[in-house]
Amino acid sequence: MDIFSDLVMGLTIAISPINILYLLIGAVVGMIVGVIPGFGPSAGLAILLPVTFGMDPIGAIMMLAAIYYGAMYGGTITSILLNTPGESATVASTFDGFPLAKQGRAGPALVMQAVASFVGGTVGVILITILAPMFAQVSRSFGPPEYFLLALMGMLTLIVMIGAQWKLGVISALIGFALGTVGVDLETGQSRYTFGSAELIGGIYFIPIAIGLFGLGELFYAFYSGLHKTGSGGIVEYDKEERFWPTAQDWLSTRITMLRCSVLGFVVGVIPGAGATIASLMAYSTERSLSKNGDNFGKGEMAGLVAPETANNAASSGAMIPLLTLGIPGSASTAVLLAAFLLWGLRPGPLFMEQNPEFAWGLIASMYLGNMALLAISIFAIPLFVQIIKVPYRVLGPCVVVVCALGTFSVHASFVETFLMFGAGIVGFFMRLYGFSAAALVLALVLGPLAEEALRQTMTISRGSFAIFVERPPSLWIIAITIALVVLLPLLNRFGNSSSGKAEKAGQ
Amino acid sequence: MDMTFNLNSGWLRAGALATAFAAPLALAAPAVAQEVYPSGDETLDWTIAFGPGGGNDIMARSIIEILNKYDLYPGDIQAENRAGGSGAVGWGYLYGQSGNPYGISTTSGSFVTTPLQADTPWEPEDFTPVALLATDDLVLVVNGDSEIQNIEQFIENAKANPINIGGTGTVNVDFIVPTLFAEKAGFEFDYVSFNSMSEQTTALLSNALDAMVGNPGEILGLIESGDLRPLVFSGQNVPEALEGVPTMGDLGYDIGVSMPRGLILPPDAPEEAQSWWIETMKQVVETPEWAEYIRSNTLTPTVIYGDEFGTFLSNTKNGFGQVLRSVGAIQ
Repeated sequence: MDIFSDLVMGLTIAISPINILYLLIGAVVGMIVGVIPGFGPSAGLAILLPVTFGMDPIGAIMMLAAIYYGAMYGGTITSILLNTPGESATVASTFDGFPLAKQGRAGPALVMQAVASFVGGTVGVILITILAPMFAQVSRSFGPPEYFLLALMGMLTLIVMIGAQWKLGVISALIGFALGTVGVDLETGQSRYTFGSAELIGGIYFIPIAIGLFGLGELFYAFYSGLHKTGSGGIVEYDKEERFWPTAQDWLSTRITMLRCSVLGFVVGVIPGAGATIASLMAYSTERSLSKNGDNFGKGEMAGLVAPETANNAASSGAMIPLLTLGIPGSASTAVLLAAFLLWGLRPGPLFMEQNPEFAWGLIASMYLGNMALLAISIFAIPLFVQIIKVPYRVLGPCVVVVCALGTFSVHASFVETFLMFGAGIVGFFMRLYGFSAAALVLALVLGPLAEEALRQTMTISRGSFAIFVERPPSLWIIAITIALVVLLPLLNRFGNSSSGKAEKAGQ
Repeated sequence: MDMTFNLNSGWLRAGALATAFAAPLALAAPAVAQEVYPSGDETLDWTIAFGPGGGNDIMARSIIEILNKYDLYPGDIQAENRAGGSGAVGWGYLYGQSGNPYGISTTSGSFVTTPLQADTPWEPEDFTPVALLATDDLVLVVNGDSEIQNIEQFIENAKANPINIGGTGTVNVDFIVPTLFAEKAGFEFDYVSFNSMSEQTTALLSNALDAMVGNPGEILGLIESGDLRPLVFSGQNVPEALEGVPTMGDLGYDIGVSMPRGLILPPDAPEEAQSWWIETMKQVVETPEWAEYIRSNTLTPTVIYGDEFGTFLSNTKNGFGQVLRSVGAIQ
């Protein structure tokens, strides 16, 4: 009842014409920021932050928050159409999104990703509305031991990514781990493999690598196979009349996935530092191991696109929990939002929602509206975006190279990263040619440093004892969930498969 | 990424008037035949060595707002974020403008630490120092549920039991402050290094850490709600919001290390430019807007000018270098 009246109060604030305008501006900017490869929400937010100097904080936060979750809608479009993730959290969306587009199902894939984003975002806001205080407990129970276990859980995803040619997959993952060692060693402060470069102090950021491996690698491969000589697109086909709306089968087969991944994504998002990228990768591998069509994942399975898309949107809602309830930013983007709070003279912390109810509830209410607006914008914009594929490949190709380079450069204004992106593009081409797994490399690059740092922090804290992992209740929970996911569920699935056909209906 | 914000579009019109205002100040410096510094026709190129929204950015923009509001600078001021390599890119850009009186930048902790870590072509002493305006200091906190109520109990406990203290990064004041403090107070601890303030704060809230150091501005909300308990502050004066918390100096363990937030010109900038900026900054720090900036960012106002600031920078650098070399963090 209390929540309901708070929410109504929030809605009345959010719905004023000027605030709606800010919200729409934010949503559109977010979409655009998401579409440009490399140029993610945190960069977009940081650029627009100075504009909000002197704005009404409520309107300003609605706009900034809409940029933040809107980027998750836009980021997938290039993942599907060009195999180039627009944003780090949409790397996993390339795995099945691009194969779907190759099968001529770009239209349904784009519609389904918009719907999945909407479901994930909305379920996320509903969970914020009713369970924020409860989830605040989750965010504050995570220390280094839990992060290490979480990273390990993520690494199980690697086994899924490595695929059939396991030797090549393992080599790919090892390259990723090796790249992850570059940068300042967090514990001792010594520089590793930076060769004196100030730009490598912070390590190798995975976005230039992902853009290079996926986007440019695919592009070079397309030229290698002579696509530029054929008249039109060729990689992906699209037929407006027949192929726009998803089929009934698409809806039915993904409805459980959407709900499951909304909750999963939200919970991962609540954990500071884990964020939308890890949420989307975990959702992908979880769905793959749960699905009856697990073998089809990576070849254009709709659930394989819906899972990461739902999860990354739910995670971006989840990341608002530590921000609003503890004043702790869970990601680079929410860190910029925190800076904005401070700039406007607000003091984030556990008392924040109590002290600033209009602000907090106005923001939460605006997220419901924002997600609806984004769904509508996405669906209307799809016919526009698919025009991209009608551009002849010999024209589109060079444009993609330029956009990838600009997008990468825009993140840290770093030439080193831009060259890394091109380097990764060449490597990506050969990986594609010889069957290595680019996905395993990127995942290892993300998780390797995370696991290393968390393990060494844990060992310092426990003074070298591994008992810490079973002494802390949150750690025990993660271990239990991991075992359930890895051992029990596949067993149950297999059992269900062989004994009856009923399970097929529910599980698909 | 490079971003240009022209903060005073209406300035050209007011230029003539402002020159008249600024002229007496400039004349105080040894008169130079050719031109009076600063000329209203020259655009001031303000380098912000970090992205928008960070501490350095907020400081630069706050100073620029004050300069504009009180008509202290006659020409246009163009602020550009030249982020990258922990400040190496931005300050490297300023370093390249040797002798130019119209390039300027604000410093922060990385101004001292980045050259210690990487082969930057510049050192902090290379630049023309204008003024140190404030310092970033740290507060040592424990979990609000902890049995430790004050710093005396903390030190006593630390002498008896092995403890750990968390902080952000290793080549950083977060590591150096507790290390020097522990040395003086006579206890030992394990330092746990984190990538960000948020990770270390949740680690403390989850009871994985015994204590941590952090910038008070980012955790005031948690201190206010009682989730974190402040024990001691590393600066000279305790900020308003932490009233009642002793400083390390109060305990007799003054460590004399803090992160400099100051203003610098390119190497070998003309003397009249340096003294013009010193005089101007003396006015800036007297404004209510500056007091508000210091308050809302929980900084410690510590103002020293010119060559004294230069000496401060090289002392800080040498102090950092010594501690970091002794633990093997840098060569």
